[in-house]
Amino acid sequence: MLLSVDNLDIHYGHAQVLHQASMSLTEGELVCVVGRNGAGKTTLLRAIGGFMKPSAGDIVFKGEPMSGLSLEQVAQKGIKYVYQDKRVFGDLTVRENLELAAYPTGESMDSAIEKLVAIHPKMKKLLDAKAKGLSGGERQILLIGRALVGDPQLLLIDEPTEGLAAIIIGEIVDILLKMKSKITMVVVEQNLATVARLADRIYVMKEGVMAREITQREIIENPSNYEEEL
Amino acid sequence: MINLIQSLLYGLTIGGVLYIISVGLSLTFGAMGIVNFSHGLVYAVGAYAVYTVAKLLGAGYLLGLVAAIVVSIPLSYLIERLVIRRLYGQAIDYAIIATYAVLLIGADSLRWVYGASPLPISDPVGVLWTFGGLQMPAFRLIIIILSGLIFIGLNLFFKKTLVGKIVVAGLQDREAVRSLGIKVERHFAIVFVIGSALAALGGALYAPLSTLDPYMGFEILILCFAVVIVGGMGNLTGTTIAAFALGMVHSLTAVYIVSSAADAAVYVVMAAVLIFRPIEA
Repeated sequence: MLLSVDNLDIHYGHAQVLHQASMSLTEGELVCVVGRNGAGKTTLLRAIGGFMKPSAGDIVFKGEPMSGLSLEQVAQKGIKYVYQDKRVFGDLTVRENLELAAYPTGESMDSAIEKLVAIHPKMKKLLDAKAKGLSGGERQILLIGRALVGDPQLLLIDEPTEGLAAIIIGEIVDILLKMKSKITMVVVEQNLATVARLADRIYVMKEGVMAREITQREIIENPSNYEEEL
Repeated sequence: MINLIQSLLYGLTIGGVLYIISVGLSLTFGAMGIVNFSHGLVYAVGAYAVYTVAKLLGAGYLLGLVAAIVVSIPLSYLIERLVIRRLYGQAIDYAIIATYAVLLIGADSLRWVYGASPLPISDPVGVLWTFGGLQMPAFRLIIIILSGLIFIGLNLFFKKTLVGKIVVAGLQDREAVRSLGIKVERHFAIVFVIGSALAALGGALYAPLSTLDPYMGFEILILCFAVVIVGGMGNLTGTTIAAFALGMVHSLTAVYIVSSAADAAVYVVMAAVLIFRPIEA
């Protein structure tokens, strides 16, 4: 077991947004978390990533409890987060974005650049471009490439295809499929077709509760059963 | 015409000093979300360090400049560790109260040591530069050149060094920098100390143009807040433009309207900016 989340409660002030959520992940798996807006998907991902402290429950990564660790410590343990809203460092170049990712991991810049170019060769031409000038798709690719620096063991990817054109969504899904089996991933995603292509297992969240777990096959065979839940 | 050019050059001097002092304040404001009144204390300590070394000890103005910077480093480090670091993520009122207390304690300590009477420092260069009908103390030209060099140096620092790039990224998105595994507060602390050293340098440079008094930090602080508000919190380019623009406003008001209205003119510009571009809560 690489990651186990047990009975996690999260509060925003007095409002409880996650109720005893549990999930588990073995090495090399790609697990999708689906659910309507406000179901608690991003909150769950952010809790695992160390962005917020749970009010109850445990997060255990490689046998080690993560709940008390700071955001920096969680990243240093090998859990990297890919933001939903294409949050690149706009005033820095693509190369400098990678430089910041490489710094705490000790990875060389050549190797960091190689990783980005490997997932999307066209990024080689954009290395010296300011990140704020990139398209939405290029930003997403940069975020994924940046998260790969330092060889993390778990990637938390929040809505990677949100707001992107269909052709770019295809490219992002291809990139994630290429990464699959080399790295363990939790992907929050709304698009059922994308989930059907990517996921080994799927968790369905509803109003802050982990409602159930389904398989990729179930989504492919009966997509209409799940459309209502997204 | 000559009068106008001379006023503009004087404006550049004031703008240069305002820039040197404000840049640290802007970074603390923008990066850490902290309104740091203790910046005024570091400025005053810089001025008194020059006075002590150059006038009381007779070791010369240059050594006084070095002393101002050297003294400011442990002082600002202590302020950061003991006060500022505890205020991260707290409501802005706590920062205002805590750093204002530091400024008050520091200013009263200066008064206790040096007395309340204004203390003068003479022009350390003592040369009048003349060109055509223009007359300008060479020391003021040195301030303009020095502020230009600091501007270039800071730009190189933020564009070429890793610490600078981390701070630039942190100004935009601190959480995203932290999620890479970088302890961003540690890097902000380095920049805090650099900004404070610049404030002390600003105090040391401004001392010969004015007189020293223990509460000099209060007055300059309001002008610097005007620069930061007009230029945008944490916006380095904006801070530079605002410092020199407000320096011009200050100088031109003093020459063409009345010198006692110079500070007020700066506040009027700040108020106008706040009306048309209010700070988001």
